[in-house]
Order: sequence, then structure tokens, then C-alpha cells
Amino acid sequence: MWTSVIQIFQKYMGTGLTVIWFLAALIYLFLFEKRKDRRILFVYMPVLLLLLYFNPLFAGLFCSLVGSEIYFRMCWLLPVIVVLAYTAACILEKRKGKGQLLFAVVTVLLIVFSGKSVYENPLYSKAENMYHVPDSVVHLCDAIVVPGREVMAVFPRELLLYVRQYSPYVCMPYGREVIEGDFNEFYELMEEDVLDMETLEPFVNGKECHYIIFSDEKEMLGEPEDYGWELFDRMDGYVIYRNTKVPLIY
Amino acid sequence: MLLQAVILFLILYVLPIFVGGIFARVDGRGSLPFRWVSGQFCLWAGFQAICVPMILLPRENSFANVIGMYGVFVAAMLLFSLALFVKRCAKEWRVYLVREKDTDRDMIARLLLVAVLLLLGIQLVLAVVLAYEEGDDAFYVAISSITTESGTMYEILPYTGGTTGLDARHALAPFPIWIAMLSRVSGIHAAVLAQVVLPVVLIVMAYAIFYLIGKRLFPDSRRKQLLFMLFLELLVMFGGQSLYTAENFLLVRTSQGKAVLADIVIPFLFLLFLILFEKLQNEEQPGTKYWLLIAVTMLTGCLCSTQGSLLTCILLGVGGGCAAVCYRKWKLIFPAAACCIVPVLMAVLYLYLD
Repeated sequence: MWTSVIQIFQKYMGTGLTVIWFLAALIYLFLFEKRKDRRILFVYMPVLLLLLYFNPLFAGLFCSLVGSEIYFRMCWLLPVIVVLAYTAACILEKRKGKGQLLFAVVTVLLIVFSGKSVYENPLYSKAENMYHVPDSVVHLCDAIVVPGREVMAVFPRELLLYVRQYSPYVCMPYGREVIEGDFNEFYELMEEDVLDMETLEPFVNGKECHYIIFSDEKEMLGEPEDYGWELFDRMDGYVIYRNTKVPLIY
Repeated sequence: MLLQAVILFLILYVLPIFVGGIFARVDGRGSLPFRWVSGQFCLWAGFQAICVPMILLPRENSFANVIGMYGVFVAAMLLFSLALFVKRCAKEWRVYLVREKDTDRDMIARLLLVAVLLLLGIQLVLAVVLAYEEGDDAFYVAISSITTESGTMYEILPYTGGTTGLDARHALAPFPIWIAMLSRVSGIHAAVLAQVVLPVVLIVMAYAIFYLIGKRLFPDSRRKQLLFMLFLELLVMFGGQSLYTAENFLLVRTSQGKAVLADIVIPFLFLLFLILFEKLQNEEQPGTKYWLLIAVTMLTGCLCSTQGSLLTCILLGVGGGCAAVCYRKWKLIFPAAACCIVPVLMAVLYLYLD
């Protein structure tokens, strides 16, 4: 338990510099903060919370109740940035003239270089629309939805996260769980470089898929018409086939 | 579109400010940000109290009933707040307006204010123009979209659309249903609300709480308040050293309940502790409304995340315990424990259902 508590804390710390500054700030406030209310809030409470976090008995109880994968949320109880900003403002207060400016600049630089810009995350991209889903999802869903009922459609991996955020009327035979690692044979077949119609057919019909959507660069083994697939549309680099073996009445 | 924006503005800003009048005296100053935040917490807590029983006992039109009952609750809170307002004879409101109009002639403070607003503006613009590939949105935003369109709550699998049994872990913390309610009432798509509108509102709310903390920490120095805010904004923007920090959650997963818990509910509890410690320092009693607001905050924690009940109880236990020991006010333990009753019951219910 102790090892996993440490590992979780290391994950939370990242580079660790911000937490080091936080601990330094706690020591500073312990030594120099005179007001009792501030000492309680910014020294005693964080120290108690840290002791609680690293207490194996407490950690064991917490993890057995809600799971160890979210134990890092205990760290949210530490007022890290409030303590840091408060300490910096207090130290700044004690400087005079140019010393004050210098300290402010150094603090800003320390914050910038100790942390990492949230916006540097490679998962950020320019939003294509107000829904924050790819435009292709909007176009594809708009093309296949029919009034008054749900449709079942197979989508390629890169769109799975977004389809049902945009349209709850579009159902899928598999979703995010396959991206997270759940095995799904239908998904595996759809993600092959070459789509084998004969192997796919039982899955497509078995899951009652009205539409099959995949990249239009994919090769197909077999003639779609022989399996009841009609070309429905092409858009944004994807091709949509309508599976005529599953009726779509509305 | 204009009508939708007006509706949302009324629901997300005007209503909470009016309802927050109930708790204006807790702050001692009755400032606008405090009214806004405490009012929103009151509305969130009411939503939680209405929504969870409706999810656990599903009937026809459960979601529509939630909206109806919530409407009644909001109306009741407004009336109560108005009654308090009339009772106070508008005295505090005038005082507040005069106070807020205080102009700052300090040039450095003005420059700092510009920097603070600039950094806030950058974060808000980036929240709108940048999209983040967040796996959990496939769950939470989809739940909101499904609820808005189908009127069912946690009865449809968000990833695929299949039917499912009760998902206790998520159903006890129905923050996505609150988003669905906003979507249904305003007519704005749930995804637009979750990805664009709410991040703007919730980021501002998080900083409003930090601003209130800063005002209490540095009551006599506008410069220090602004420096405090500036450092905080930078710490948030450069809080991406790990995916698990509250700062990262604030900017990346803003409208997910757990981000609201980490960046709004927990900081607000710290603000309330600061108020409590200051009152105890000055030999004052916190009062009934203070504990009511703590209870409301705890319930909001439950709305945001199922772990919210546990985390808020731990924090209240530590904070209340520190206050009781350091100020030798042992009686504080009783109202603090009373505030934990509902979250503890929620936790027990979760363990029972899970």
C-alpha cells in the first residue's frame, strides 16, 4: 500500500518542483506567519492532510472503499496554489523598491519553469465547431440520422469518442470501451487495413447496423452490393454504406 | 440564439446572485461574487436533493419531473431571498453598490488588474477555441446529450446507446443531468454547453472564489489581492506538470463534476474555513447560516462526484477539528458533524448500491 501511495503522489507531482515550492512555502509560513487563522488554514490543515494521505491505514481504507486509481484526488484537498500565491504575495510585501519588482519577476519565472503549460498538451487542437467534436462527426451524423428513431452505425476508431456526444440518436455496436482496451472482434475487423466483407457481414447484420462508415482510403475485399451494402454517401474522407439487410422504417 | 443566451445568463448569473442573498451575511460584506457563488451552491444542492431520488426511483418522465420540481425549488429560493431582502430594507444593497464603485487610483494596481483580466481572458478564449481529446467526455457529455433528448436518466449506455441497469457510481453524482437540465431549458445543445458555455462560467467562478479568498487574506491592499490573483492564474496555466492536478482539471475537464469538485467546491470550503477562523479569532460565532452554507457546499460536493462526499467530509473533519482544537471551541464539532450526515448517507448508499 505504502509503495502505491508514493507512486500515486509521484504521478500527481509530475516534475515535482511545484510540490517542493509548496513544502518550502509551508515551512516559511510555519516560521513567519503570525496570524493564527492563517497558520491553521495554510500550515496545520495541509500538514494534517499530508499526514492523512501518507497514512497507510487511511490509504488502505480509502482505496478499499472507492478504489486506488482515484486516490490521487486526496491531493486536491491540499491548497497548493493558494498557499504558493499567498506566500509569494507575503514575501513580496516585505521587499522594497526594486527588490519587490525583482522578486515578482523571479516568482513568475519560477512558476513558469517549475510547471508546464496546460496548453502544451498534444491532445489539444483547434476546435472545429461549437460542439468541440470533429466536423466530420457532425456531417456524418447529420447525414445518417432519420427523424423519430435511432440508427445503428459503425464508426472508425478516431470518431468513436465524439459520435454520441453530438447525437444520442446514433447508436454504435461498440464505443469508447474498445479504445480503452476491451476486446471486440467486430472492432478489430473494422480496423484492419483491408475490410473483408464476408467476415464482417455476420457482425454487421448481427448488431443490426444500418450504416457502415470507414475511411474511403480503405481497401475492400468483396463487392459491397453482394452483401446488401449500398453506397450512401462520401464526405470528409469517409465513405458511408447503407446496409439494406437491416430495415430502416420511420 | 440571443434568447438562449439570455436564458442562460439568467439561470447561471442572475438567479444565483438573487438566491445568494440568503447567505450574504456569511461573508460579512455581501459582495456580488460571494452571492453568485453561494447562490449557485444553494441551487446545485437543491438539484442534487431533487435529482438523486428521481434517478433511484425512475418513473415516466422522470427528467421532466426533475425540471419541474427544480423550477419550484428555484422559485421558493427566490421568494425566500426576496423576503430577506425586504426585511433588510435594501440597506445592505446600497452599501454594497457604493463599496464596489470604489475606484482605484493606484497605477500599479491598475496595471496588475489589466494583467489579471488579460490572463483570465486568455484562459476563457482558449477554453472556447481549443478542443481537448478527453475520453471521459464520451461518457459525461454523452449522458447529458442522451438525457436532454430522451428524457431518461442513466438508463441508456452512453458509449453505445444500449439499455443498462442503474449505474450507482455515476447516478449518485448527477452533474451531467444538471447540464442536461440547462440544455433542455435553454435549448442549447448539451455538447455546446459542456464544451463552450460552462467552461467560461465555471472558470470565472473558480477565480471568483480565489478572488474572495484573496480579498480576505489582503483586505487592506488592492495590489496584494491582484498579485495573489496573478500568481494563482499563472499557477493554474502552468499546472500541467501532471494530468492529475486540480489546475489541469480546471482548464481541461472544466465542466466535468470532478473538476468542479476540485476547483470550485474544495476552494469554496477553504474560503468558508477562512471565514470561520477569522470569526473565531474575533470571538464571534459563525451562525446558523454559515453552517447551512457548509451543508449546502457538502451536498454540492456530492452532486459533482461520488468521491465528493468522502473528500468534503475529510476536509470538514480536518478543518473543523483544527478549529475546535486551536480555538478550544469543542462545540463546533456538532454542527460540523451534522453537515456530514447527508454526504455520509450518500456514501453508504453508494456502497450499498455498488
